[in-house]
Amino acid sequence: MRNSSGNSFMQRSALLTLIMGAALLSAAARVSAAGDADAGKKLFPQCAACHAVGEGARHLYGPMLNGVTERPAASAEGYSYSDAMKRSVEEGLVWDDATLDAYLESPMSYISGTKMAFAGIPDEGQRQDMVAFLKRIATDGTGVVEEISQAEQADSSPVAEEEPRPLARDTVVPEHGVLHLGRAALPEEVAAWDIDIRPDGQGLPAGSGSVEAGVDIYDTQCAMCHGVFGEGEGRWPVLAGGFDSLTDERPEKTVGSYWPYLSTVFDYVRRAMPFGNARSLSDDEVYSLTAYLLYLNDLVDEEFTLSAGNFDAIAMPNVDHFIDDDRMEEPQYAAIEEPCMQDCLPGSAVVTQRARILDVTPDGGGDDDAAGGSID
Amino acid sequence: MASSNDKTIESGARRQALKNGLRVGALMGAAGGAGLTVSGRAAAEASPDPLITEVQDWNRFMGDGVDANPYGKPSVHESDAVRRTVSWLTAENKSSINFTPLHKLDGIITPNGLCFERHHGGVATIAPSDHRLMINGLVDTPLVFTMEDLQRFPRENHVYFLECAANSGMEWRGAQLNGCQFTHGMVHNVMYTGVKLKHLLAEAGVSPRGKWLLPEGADPSHMTRSIPMEKAMDDCMVVFKMNGEALRPEQGYPLRLVVPGWEGNMWVKWLRRLEVGDKPWHHREETSKYTDLLADGTARRFTWTMDVKSIITNPSPQAPILHGRGRTVVTGLAWSGHGTVSRVDVSIDGGRNWKTARLDGPSLSKSLHRFYHEFDWDGSELFLQSRAIDEKRQVQPSKEALRKARGTNSIYHNNGIQTWHIRPDGSAENVEVS
Repeated sequence: MRNSSGNSFMQRSALLTLIMGAALLSAAARVSAAGDADAGKKLFPQCAACHAVGEGARHLYGPMLNGVTERPAASAEGYSYSDAMKRSVEEGLVWDDATLDAYLESPMSYISGTKMAFAGIPDEGQRQDMVAFLKRIATDGTGVVEEISQAEQADSSPVAEEEPRPLARDTVVPEHGVLHLGRAALPEEVAAWDIDIRPDGQGLPAGSGSVEAGVDIYDTQCAMCHGVFGEGEGRWPVLAGGFDSLTDERPEKTVGSYWPYLSTVFDYVRRAMPFGNARSLSDDEVYSLTAYLLYLNDLVDEEFTLSAGNFDAIAMPNVDHFIDDDRMEEPQYAAIEEPCMQDCLPGSAVVTQRARILDVTPDGGGDDDAAGGSID
Repeated sequence: MASSNDKTIESGARRQALKNGLRVGALMGAAGGAGLTVSGRAAAEASPDPLITEVQDWNRFMGDGVDANPYGKPSVHESDAVRRTVSWLTAENKSSINFTPLHKLDGIITPNGLCFERHHGGVATIAPSDHRLMINGLVDTPLVFTMEDLQRFPRENHVYFLECAANSGMEWRGAQLNGCQFTHGMVHNVMYTGVKLKHLLAEAGVSPRGKWLLPEGADPSHMTRSIPMEKAMDDCMVVFKMNGEALRPEQGYPLRLVVPGWEGNMWVKWLRRLEVGDKPWHHREETSKYTDLLADGTARRFTWTMDVKSIITNPSPQAPILHGRGRTVVTGLAWSGHGTVSRVDVSIDGGRNWKTARLDGPSLSKSLHRFYHEFDWDGSELFLQSRAIDEKRQVQPSKEALRKARGTNSIYHNNGIQTWHIRPDGSAENVEVS
């Protein structure tokens, strides 16, 4: 069992230093063959959580990438680059096919200390596709979608010779059901889509994962949005801590403080995370991340390994604090009576609150940070 | 051809700008800068309206012929009737929300392009020929349907509102956003065409142990929610058309689930799978999210129904009164997940006295209702409120009553009565009053 979050900080910092210390600043002098920009576009969703492209693209966690290959490195206006990135530019970094390729292969190795906490693209062909895609995007954001000339459009739709239609009477009508519509689903098809898991463990796949293995996966796949300690960057969800905060003025609803079931963590990470690259993690990786989230919430120690076998032994702290819907028993609904029509309140109306004071309405020129509440 | 058209339009616009300039000048002279409070009659007496006395461009020069817009668009003068987002609500725009411009609409139907959007992983782009709907779990025969298969079931048409459970969620701690688009715009009302879920489930044969249904989306969030079988067998539908045309991509093209009267998050878009089970799944959107935290630290779960609610859409902060005192139309929307709205009351004095408004247009179960209240405004400040009562005789509560019962951290299901403060100059602000 870990003692304090301070302790955890020391461990994590040491670990990060190790990862970043292993820098291999070898500007690869590889010659990039022309990649396929459209193939690169298909790979881009894994970048989109942090980088925007296209018309009106803004800086997110990472800088917007319109015209990134046309501008000097680390020069996007309004973006706060890491010291490491600025230093690399001072030392002569210029983005070209070779340097982009080396950076995309392993950002944290190529520029130790970069904010780009991304594992990298191991496949050389995919990196070339990505570079080709980035080069296609102009400074004004055009080029995300390739513009097809009318002539090309005409060429690409040749009139196919029509085959004779099958006769309606030859159609095989299935026997199932009432209207005999649809077809039987094959077991492989059901297995491919049915990945849901319930609190009782139904649906858990075979496999296991340790806290230790979870560290690396979390740092490269999750930390850029959720923070190194699960504290959440910007408005991305906070994953750890918040214990005993549910009655506070600003409760912190985290995996540890709020989520009633561990199965929900596994199910959600496997179906929807990492944001922009869903379904890319192996089952063992999801077990590892789930174990690591338990660790970040002080619910297991660093030696812990999670598997289908010990899954139901983990009880989440807030499990007993959910109740079923009893809104109709609240006073304002329980007493069904004719509402008052005349002289319902004494005196004249007195304003107690004004939206204008906060001024967080869009286009109001106000301070967004003053706004309370989040719907995500 | 195209360039000569352009030239015509351009020179027409220039002539019009010139005329408008002259017109404004004439009116300024007549009205003497008295502004909005001058009645139309007084201005007309002072000088004839050039819009009437002079031949206008549109009276003389022909505009576009047929087919200028194979898919028609709103008038260029309606560019303000658009969805708007509130950027600080979410971390980025792939999992985010925007809002229906309720103050720009009338009647009960929301145009397809103005229905608010809520995505959890961007808008999935799916060719209908590539889409499949699977039914699996506790059924006799797990099935796969193509879109063509689904068109062969008996189709029905129903108008339903869809409201996000977080609609008005930013107002729990007090008045915050200035405009009904932002306070109440996570709602839309659409006529759907599709197939009752019970027909699809009957085709697969639901086991007697099947008490729950898990719909799942095909987008990168793979959205899932647990729905009790009674609701699934009652009025839920899978739909492919909205307001007569194919679903918009942002509304789940080519297939979405409709769960009438229940929170919008359950209306899974890009619907690809329905699993029958004997217990709920307690997935992320029904545990971490869409549970209502109460003041004592407990949280309600499975709070599905959207309670009785109403909002005055005009006047409102984005739609002030510009015509001065005299005859004034107050209008708005009312709805309830429990059925039809039987009555809406309007107060102009912050809830001291109420008058029953006029409901107009179709009164359909679990659909928006339109109400009007016409009165003579004396020009003094107003505190406008509306209060809906549904067929189950549930009365829309005050925000004060809701906070007393739940605290301020519920996020979801805020159906409290809204107050607009109308100042003597006709401008409006989101306020709370005691």
